[in-house]
Amino acid sequence: MSLLEIEDLSVTFTTADGDVNAVNGVTFNIDKGETLAIVGESGSGKSQTAFAAMGLLAKNGRAAGIARFDGQNLLAMSQREFNKIRSKDMAMIFQDPMTSLNPYLRVSDQMAEVLMLHDGISKKDAITKAVQMLDAVRIPDARARVTMYPHEFSGGMRQRIMIAMSLLCQPRLLIADEPTTALDVTVQAQIMQLLADIRQDFGTAVILITHDLGIVAGFCDRTLVMYGGQIMEEGPTDDIFAQPSHPYTSGLLKAVPRLDKDEATLATIAGEPPDMSHLPPGCPFSPRCAQLLDNCRAERPMLETTGNRRRACHLPVQEDA
Amino acid sequence: MFSFVIRRLAVAIPTLLVLVIISFILMYAAPGGPFNSERPLPPEVLANIEAKYGLDQPFWAQIANYVWGVVTSFDFGPSFQYKDRSVNDIIAQGFPVTLTYGFWSFVVAVTVGVSLGVAAAIRQNSWLDYLAVGISVGAQVLPNFVMAPILVLTFTLWLGWLPGGGWNGGQWQNLVMPVIALSTSYMASIARITRSSMLEVLNTNFIRTARAKGLPMRRVIWRHAMKPAMLPVLSYLGPAFVGMITGSVVIDVFFSTGGIGQFFVNSAFNRDYSVIMGITILVGALTIFFNLVVDVLYAWIDPKIRY
Repeated sequence: MSLLEIEDLSVTFTTADGDVNAVNGVTFNIDKGETLAIVGESGSGKSQTAFAAMGLLAKNGRAAGIARFDGQNLLAMSQREFNKIRSKDMAMIFQDPMTSLNPYLRVSDQMAEVLMLHDGISKKDAITKAVQMLDAVRIPDARARVTMYPHEFSGGMRQRIMIAMSLLCQPRLLIADEPTTALDVTVQAQIMQLLADIRQDFGTAVILITHDLGIVAGFCDRTLVMYGGQIMEEGPTDDIFAQPSHPYTSGLLKAVPRLDKDEATLATIAGEPPDMSHLPPGCPFSPRCAQLLDNCRAERPMLETTGNRRRACHLPVQEDA
Repeated sequence: MFSFVIRRLAVAIPTLLVLVIISFILMYAAPGGPFNSERPLPPEVLANIEAKYGLDQPFWAQIANYVWGVVTSFDFGPSFQYKDRSVNDIIAQGFPVTLTYGFWSFVVAVTVGVSLGVAAAIRQNSWLDYLAVGISVGAQVLPNFVMAPILVLTFTLWLGWLPGGGWNGGQWQNLVMPVIALSTSYMASIARITRSSMLEVLNTNFIRTARAKGLPMRRVIWRHAMKPAMLPVLSYLGPAFVGMITGSVVIDVFFSTGGIGQFFVNSAFNRDYSVIMGITILVGALTIFFNLVVDVLYAWIDPKIRY
């Protein structure tokens, strides 16, 4: 049994202009201690997939399908049962560390309440543990700084605090939603190193949601590529990078700027990200695809499994080009 | 923080002085005087009376005398209208009354307003939200001079539960209607401000973090959302509190409660200069004081504010 199994998950938002399907029938799973990257551009549904699994969808959003954690369907749970799992067994860190901590509460209070709630320990013990965890994420002088307010820390430090806070109960799964997007490059590297160490030290499974292929390569066992709320391709990270089999993945990889080649212009994928309220009937990527076939626009390709890879594309798989 | 309070209090003194001067100029410029009446007094008598109250002196001498009296002996002068009473007497008589029903109005407005606002925000777009918004819009469009007669009509004439007016030493029966009439529109504003600011706070990233921690919704609201949601309400409450404890003319007129509101209006009609000045200074000082209290509370709630 996998740690988290997502089956045919859909997320729909009710808006003034009608329903918008942000995620359409996504299926994947992650095992204990594994790291999975979910990659895609803005609006591909990668974050909403995670929010649905954490029960954090906006008020006008609803999830359908199954999200099974440790065998229990999260989507069928009462709020009360769900709260016992959140942060205790599965935790999440967010994109913007500057606004993700409560600016009106001391870091010590924000961290301690997690332990007091889930482990029922005293505030004093909780703060001691919080300091240990801040030490572990390399906050200098943690004992003295734990009573400070979030605005007294830099962005990188705040993301460390978020990570420390999410790990307090030693969850088995950590969902990191673009944890480095808002940070500058050197800090990004430190945070990714920290996440790698944590996975090693605690054996935490990590779902890394990102649009930055650069940070996926060295970190994740498997990579899942999403577009238009659907899975385009999935497989071991090394294989995906070496041999992308979906035109969208190829496009993404080509769009990564390279320092070892002297190119005047950056490769892009022509066209606009899809309008989620009016997806084409066929492949969602078809309006932008460079290798369009006749049936791409009309017929939605099925997600087909070949060995340890899955892909949803009408184009025949090309052997070692 | 301490030095901030001291500095603010120091600034209050020139502020009040400016208030005194402007009020004095406006009063001076208004036609008529305290001793003009329908049957004019003989000029000699008028001159004698004006000399007694110092009204024959030039403007600057009058204002200097007044300020000197206030500063040195806290003497706001005699009333021009009520021969046997000083302004201090009038305030001492009327202000406790206004303070009592003003305080209770404040308590009612804040409790009901904040509860309605929070309930509406948590259950946004539900019947509870529509009900709360409906109540606050209704309360907003009912000014107290409409509320007051409706209340009297209902509770005194039809139901006969409450006395239609009077103060009676501040018995609760005499308090109920003034408090309801005075607090209604403030309550409505507080409810609307609370609702919108709570909605805004509930959409922030740190509330999402709090929910991701597995905190029950009640705890998320009380511990994480309440403080920031109260900030805009707080800045409204400073002036609102002064508005309520200095009372309303309408309340005093309608319920014959005998608060300072009535004295204030009468003094303006009668050109009772010293009473006008005394009450103006009182309201000014209270406004300054409660704005300071709001600033201090702000710093207490928001750790980013340091004075």
